[in-house]
Amino acid sequence: MLNYPSIVFKGAARFAVLGAVAFAPFAGALPAHAQQSDTLVIGRAMDVNSLDPARAFCDTCQIYLSAVYEPLVTLGKDNKTLVAGLADAWDANDNFTDFTFTIRDNAVFADGSPVEASDVVWTFNRMKNLKGSPSFLMDGVASVTAVDSKTVNVTLDAPNAEFLNKLSAPYSGIINAEVAAAAGAIADESASSSDKAENWFLENSAGSGPFTLSNYSPDNELRFARNDNYWGDAPHFSEVVITQIQDAVSQSQALESGAVDIAMQVDADTAVSITAEDVVIKIVPSFNFLYIAFMPGAEDMADVLTPEVREALSLAINYDEMIEFTVGGNGNPQAAPIPNGFPGTANLPLRHQDLDKSRAMLASAGFPDGFEITAGYPNDNVYGVDINVMMQKAQQDLAKVGVKMKLRPLTYAVWREDLNNGALPITGLYYAPDYYGSGQYPSYFAMMPGTTWLGRAGQETPEVVVNPAEAGLYSTALAKTGAEADAAYEALALEMINDNIIVPLVSPNLVLAYRNDIEGVRYSACCNLPLAELSRK
Amino acid sequence: MLRYIIRRIITIPFLLLSVASVAFLLSQMTKGDPLAALVPERMMSNPEVVAAVKAEWGLDKPMPVRYVIYIRNLMHGDMGTSFTTRRPVARDIAERLPATLELVIVAMFIGTSVGMTIGLLSARFRNTVFDNVARGFALLGSSLPIFWSGLILLYIFSVRLKWTPGTGRLDARTQPPPDVTGMYTIDSLLAGDFALFTQSLSHLILPALVLGWSVTGIISRLVRSSLLEALTQDYVRTARAKGAPEHVVLLNHALRNALIPVLTVLGFTFAYLITGAVLTETIFSWPGIGSYAVSAARSLDYPAIGGVTIVGATAFLLANLLTDVAYVWANPRIKVQ
Repeated sequence: MLNYPSIVFKGAARFAVLGAVAFAPFAGALPAHAQQSDTLVIGRAMDVNSLDPARAFCDTCQIYLSAVYEPLVTLGKDNKTLVAGLADAWDANDNFTDFTFTIRDNAVFADGSPVEASDVVWTFNRMKNLKGSPSFLMDGVASVTAVDSKTVNVTLDAPNAEFLNKLSAPYSGIINAEVAAAAGAIADESASSSDKAENWFLENSAGSGPFTLSNYSPDNELRFARNDNYWGDAPHFSEVVITQIQDAVSQSQALESGAVDIAMQVDADTAVSITAEDVVIKIVPSFNFLYIAFMPGAEDMADVLTPEVREALSLAINYDEMIEFTVGGNGNPQAAPIPNGFPGTANLPLRHQDLDKSRAMLASAGFPDGFEITAGYPNDNVYGVDINVMMQKAQQDLAKVGVKMKLRPLTYAVWREDLNNGALPITGLYYAPDYYGSGQYPSYFAMMPGTTWLGRAGQETPEVVVNPAEAGLYSTALAKTGAEADAAYEALALEMINDNIIVPLVSPNLVLAYRNDIEGVRYSACCNLPLAELSRK
Repeated sequence: MLRYIIRRIITIPFLLLSVASVAFLLSQMTKGDPLAALVPERMMSNPEVVAAVKAEWGLDKPMPVRYVIYIRNLMHGDMGTSFTTRRPVARDIAERLPATLELVIVAMFIGTSVGMTIGLLSARFRNTVFDNVARGFALLGSSLPIFWSGLILLYIFSVRLKWTPGTGRLDARTQPPPDVTGMYTIDSLLAGDFALFTQSLSHLILPALVLGWSVTGIISRLVRSSLLEALTQDYVRTARAKGAPEHVVLLNHALRNALIPVLTVLGFTFAYLITGAVLTETIFSWPGIGSYAVSAARSLDYPAIGGVTIVGATAFLLANLLTDVAYVWANPRIKVQ
């Protein structure tokens, strides 16, 4: 007599046999050969907006450009020290307005032609004149001249000790001028209207890095081929493929099945579910952070979001719980809108919740019963943090001091329009470094003339939020190095903390997830993942 | 009949032009910053950069001027350049459409054959255990969210059992076949590469199953209810009275007459899936039109939105035409005018 379990068992067994028969023809198609492959496969949700160094600006672009276009100087493995790139020697004058670079003799582009000073001049001029996304890296550059075929001189309008760091950004990679110009690339002052080379860069590359572009298919794959003419140590893999896998769960499954060697956007929660023994999971601190921002210049907010109220709101947030809430504890608090570990951040005081003080300050500001306010933000998940969840936690905390924050998750395009029109009193956002250096943060976040966030926080009334001390401190910081620069950035960071415009909530850790036969996986502050350092055991 | 088809085909370009115009106007009126995909966050405060980008992409011109340029270019086959991929929209679509077609055709084949079989047998054995189990299976496929069923099936068949490969159209270590149709299964066969055919089929089978399962429910329920209604008709009773075997009654008499509503649903489901298979495409990293459409809409990529709209409208118009033709095949009493 059959009982139910045996019926179920037999049914399951039949199903398994049928399934095995049905799928048997595909057994040979499985990625079992991954372990021996000379091709490295990386799973990633790509955010490519261009492959032209003078136009691109995205995390995937950083990986691509640093592998294909080599800059004059680059960032060392300690994520702090600058090391030689195409230039094997460089020098600066005492006040950091004049820089001279010597290009190494054996440096050649992928087509075998030598890298020359004229290529550097052309590349920097094009980046500046094209007015593309990374053109801010050339802000303050007065002139770029070729002293001889291997020597380049750059002069700046004002001292900038971080200029070398800016040149280590992947966007500063040197382009083979002759090849690119033949494809329609323009470097002179007409570049912004006459350069027609963007499409060419989507299908070709003209750099001197360890890899060349083999194929790019949007939302599908970005394929690199080893540059056999590379002047330095040859990359270990003959081919690297970044394959599009949109979400963290699919990436982790592809990693466990061996379809990919590295999964780049597995968040800490998903990483816990990975059980395969041949997968390595490492969780490391990142330089990325997410923040809440208050905008007194938004419509009817000047009398609400006063300095006192902003401080009260920042005191209402429980920063430790925020890290638990958003990334399950896999993150770090951050004091100022300059990442932990960057110059000037070592001694900054962390923010803490103080509800009594928050309530007292709100009462003193004329809001003993709190008020209602709206927060609009991109409805995205960034660096493993769901911005919705982050803002919900902030909403809960602010409610404890009587502030009722209405949440408006928006598509990115709608959010941008509302933000620029002053329709959002509060928002939540994220930032990742473009290079190692603290200067990029005040130039974006500080309440000084010309920054993006002064425009947003102040809108039509920048005088409401401008901090007169910050511009001077910024100039001082840029003119110094070492301990003096650290001190200046620390003073500037303290001012930015006291502004209470940008309040960092969490710096999420980064999950490095890869097969255990892969070596050299690390997080780079400039380049995300340096492909040439990767190898298979 | 032929004159009817030709007449319908001739009207398609005019209908598409109307659809493109409406899509253009609606997307221009949609709230949002079109520069979101073109100017990064950091550069929005730089008026020189913003002005340069607006000029480069024609966003500095008034909307009526942009409309005239868009329609003029469209009539020359130029759908513009995508804000997000920075490539001609026509090229993006030409690359992605075969991937979607390959997926949707196989999914529809699975969904239709399984759905019709279940519907037929459910009608034949109505109110039996088979009917109930089949209904449960079909409705499960329709009601389970694809992002869930897709991930679960991927986990079972790819990660645990290793019967199928992971996501994507091919293993990333493999080069695709020479491009003829853009459908890897066909192109690999044309290239005589059976190993590549097997691989591309193995990558196709799971997303097609998931997508096909999702349409099984509606097809099986429709076939069942239409058949049950047809089985009560006089002609069925007559056929039975004349001694026709039950399978002949079912297949030759009842099913053919019950097909009209099924054909309608099949046509529109196929057309819908051309741009609507986005969840399957996302979960299985299938670079098709659906994911392109969502990306375009999210970033207010006007040219891509226009291009996808034209593709979707074309699919619906052709599906409508084919459905009308199929009506005549299914029921010769229907006359086209």
